[in-house]
Amino acid sequence: MQRLPLSYIKPGMKTFEEVVDANGRVLCGKGIELTEEHIKRFYELGVNFVTVEGHPVNLPWEKTLEEELQALNKRFEGIKDPTLLEIKKILEEFFKEKYQEP
Amino acid sequence: MISEKRKEVRKKLKKLEGLPTLPPIVQKLSHMIEDEKVSLNQIAEVIEKDQVITSKLLRIANSAFYGFPKRISTVQSAIFLLGINVIRILIMTSSIFEIIHREDVGLWEHSIGVAACSKILAERISLKEPQEIATAGLLHDLGRVIQKVSFKEEYEEIRNLVKRGVDPLKAEEEILGLNHSDLGAFLLRQWNLPERLIETVLAHHELEKAKEFKREATVVHLADVLIHARGYGETLYQKVPSLNSKSLSILKISPEEFKDIFLALEPKLYELKFFTQELQKEL
Repeated sequence: MQRLPLSYIKPGMKTFEEVVDANGRVLCGKGIELTEEHIKRFYELGVNFVTVEGHPVNLPWEKTLEEELQALNKRFEGIKDPTLLEIKKILEEFFKEKYQEP
Repeated sequence: MISEKRKEVRKKLKKLEGLPTLPPIVQKLSHMIEDEKVSLNQIAEVIEKDQVITSKLLRIANSAFYGFPKRISTVQSAIFLLGINVIRILIMTSSIFEIIHREDVGLWEHSIGVAACSKILAERISLKEPQEIATAGLLHDLGRVIQKVSFKEEYEEIRNLVKRGVDPLKAEEEILGLNHSDLGAFLLRQWNLPERLIETVLAHHELEKAKEFKREATVVHLADVLIHARGYGETLYQKVPSLNSKSLSILKISPEEFKDIFLALEPKLYELKFFTQELQKEL
């Protein structure tokens, strides 16, 4: 998943979570393929960010899944606390899901 | 030796030598906020007259670490949504944010990440005024900024010790006689900020130091660990810092909840990254 400013959003991208307007009203459900009309409406209703599935945009600061997992291992090197290790396991799962293609 | 160093550091802090200073309008606003006869509208008017403070305030109020879905476009609505206490803190610390951001982007990103995560945790356990806890998250490493700006030589020595494998808190205590939590809390107290904020900052590594606000301090402590674990921003810690074993029982959070927490956090981290990029362009 990626959360992107509206200006990055193109037709064909799929929503990862609901899109809500400034008043918390749901404009579009989860897992919907966005169209020109959706995007036009988001502009009209002042939506700033949309969360989409996969990694449709190359952001210069973003790591690949392999790099994320490598860095994660490095941050947890030598750590033995069972709660922290549980957090690490959850993060591994989380990263794998985050990078899943739609 | 350590106690002498500690005295010297305290003396420097007391005189506020070389520390970030507050602009005069901040002093004026502080008096107004404490004066019960002054209305919130009057306070808003004074803030609005200062373009620089107004724009900084609205920008921070609209950023993802407070996460209001609605755009906050006036000082009045910022006061209404964030509360006068948070507004006062934001105005007082906006110059500090600039220093953090300019001096150490890594620490800035860490701080805003901890702010966003603190808000998510505070809401999850229904702490009152979660935006105040977000603010405590934002300021939790204020002491590190002070070290970097006002105790430059000592900060270098601390960094060298950390590079050689010394725990950052121990390194700070060895060189300065006190750690960044003590330093940050000391300055917040000098500025007469609310006790809830001071205690949270003071105890975010040593929960036993919290008296009245243990849950608040634990939220920021856990948020700090989670942001290090997720990997966002940079601090003196190369590895995930240790988690106080009582944290989860104090907050009544179970480890299974972390997945939801990371899922709620991730979109905020994206927004914060874009926010930081925008700020970088202005430098």
